[in-house]
Amino acid sequence: MNDQEKPDTSRRGFVQLLAGGAVAATAASALGSLAPAGGAESTAKQSRIQYGMLIDTRRCIGCHSCSVACKAEFDVPLGVNKSWVEYTEKGTFPNVNRHFLPRLCNHCSEPQCVAVCPTGATYKRPQDGIVVVDSGLCIGCKYCIQACPYDARFLNPVTNFADKCDFCIHRVSKGLLPSCVNSCIGGARIFGDVNDPESEISRQIAANAVTVLRPGKGTEPNVYYIEADITEEAENSDGSYRVRVSTHRSIKERR
Amino acid sequence: MHELNWGLPVILYLFLAGLGAGAVTVSGSVLLRKGGFHDSRMDIARYGALIGPIPVMLGTFLIVFELGQPFRALNLFKMLNLSPMSIGTWALALFIILSGLYAICFIPRQATWPWLGKARRVLAWLCVPLGISVAIYTGVLLGAMPARPFWNSPILAGLFVLSALSTGTAAIMLMVALFGEKSAEHREGRENDQYLLVSSDALLLGGEMLVIFLFLMFAHLTIGDVRHAVEVILPGGSLASLFWWGVVLIGILFPFVMELFQVVPKLLYGRTFRSSLVLEVAVALSVLAGGFALRYIIVVAGQVTGPTTL
Ligand code: SF4
Ligand code: SF4
Ligand code: SF4
Repeated sequence: MNDQEKPDTSRRGFVQLLAGGAVAATAASALGSLAPAGGAESTAKQSRIQYGMLIDTRRCIGCHSCSVACKAEFDVPLGVNKSWVEYTEKGTFPNVNRHFLPRLCNHCSEPQCVAVCPTGATYKRPQDGIVVVDSGLCIGCKYCIQACPYDARFLNPVTNFADKCDFCIHRVSKGLLPSCVNSCIGGARIFGDVNDPESEISRQIAANAVTVLRPGKGTEPNVYYIEADITEEAENSDGSYRVRVSTHRSIKERR
Repeated sequence: MHELNWGLPVILYLFLAGLGAGAVTVSGSVLLRKGGFHDSRMDIARYGALIGPIPVMLGTFLIVFELGQPFRALNLFKMLNLSPMSIGTWALALFIILSGLYAICFIPRQATWPWLGKARRVLAWLCVPLGISVAIYTGVLLGAMPARPFWNSPILAGLFVLSALSTGTAAIMLMVALFGEKSAEHREGRENDQYLLVSSDALLLGGEMLVIFLFLMFAHLTIGDVRHAVEVILPGGSLASLFWWGVVLIGILFPFVMELFQVVPKLLYGRTFRSSLVLEVAVALSVLAGGFALRYIIVVAGQVTGPTTL
């Protein structure tokens, strides 16, 4: 039974964990005598979906179609964003350069927001790896907002729940692309299952040098970038050249 | 400037819950140590028990109404998971109930009925570990996040426990000084009480100094996020003056020196312990003010700093 699907690490209720463990053990012993190991389970693991996004920043023109599409899709209140674009401006005239970095929740494989949520409201869906907030459970304690290393979350000022990008579950489950991907005029966003080696996103990830953001935080993001410029303002501390990082969010700095 | 997701209600909660849990813990330990049936030191146990639950309840009230969805707070009791906030919530709820009962047992000064003395002891055995849990979990809660380099250290929980115990002791010191038995026949007992409180508080403040020194030293010697974060409280940082004047000088050094000044003659030279009301009140108030400043600095500093590289 080594190939058994990794237990769902979300909704890690202590009680549920214990209960789940007992059920799994019973099931394992029952199945062990009936079915040969491997087989069904290993296919199950391979077919387990982890949705992800690949953002090719070379194709991004900083037009904010994604930001606007996301706002419109969810009626995201003023002052907060699920999807945003950061500008990195570098150099001194005439040798200047401007780079765009579209941002959203990374739907991490080791999401810190899930680890800290005291009610189990934030969890990683076992069927597709999307990290979601269950508004029926969320108490708005903001622990997850503090814990996310990407500042991807916010307290929705209308509902007072924690909120963030949900990879447009309502569209994706109907076979549509997420709104920001659909609207991207540069074709900079590729959405798909990163666990399926045949998918477009997996092939692009394999064929390009890709990075994730803040890999040192151990969150294992599922949003990948091609040529992401991650220069920080602090890097021009000696004043030799200019760096300015800004966003259109209500808080202008990168956090 | 970064927005503060956790503001004054959270800061006050950390301070008040720490103070109350500290006072009950001190009360329970003193009661158990003395067997609980002696009159001397009864003031410490009694005032600790009586004042402890109030700030904890007040602080809890504040954070419940700070929640985005206050009326959903009961969702916390639908599960117990490994989130420090979940474990802490359960510990806090148990602590509020049991410390409330413990306080009720101290309303009559004398344990006239034998079962009352027994109830006090049983509740003290439960309230001491729960009080420490309430004091420590907030430090674990903040310390658990790699996204918040200023908080992300195991030593924060240690600092929170020491600060909770020392503010709790200071609160009891204040109560004993203001309302304790002052008649001549109680004079010796009262001075014994104050000696115990003052010397323990000096020890706790000494511990705090050590932990703060370690925190600053490690943060300063490291590189990257943590070092960058600690700069807000180092000279030149935006929170530096409150930290050095409020926490270090008023909150720790002043009371520590005053306490040594009171304790050392008895400790080293066997002189009689003498104290004055004004000094006791001044020391207690400065420890309390410093405790609040410490929580303020930590909660704010953790949120205005963050990872420095993407
Ligand atoms: S990016 Fe932040 S909010 Fe999204 S899954 Fe990762 S830790 Fe959670
Ligand atoms: S704000 Fe909601 S989703 Fe976030 S940690 Fe608190 S209960 Fe969980
Ligand atoms: S996937 Fe949907 S929710 Fe997420 S950023 Fe794009 S449009 Fe917004």
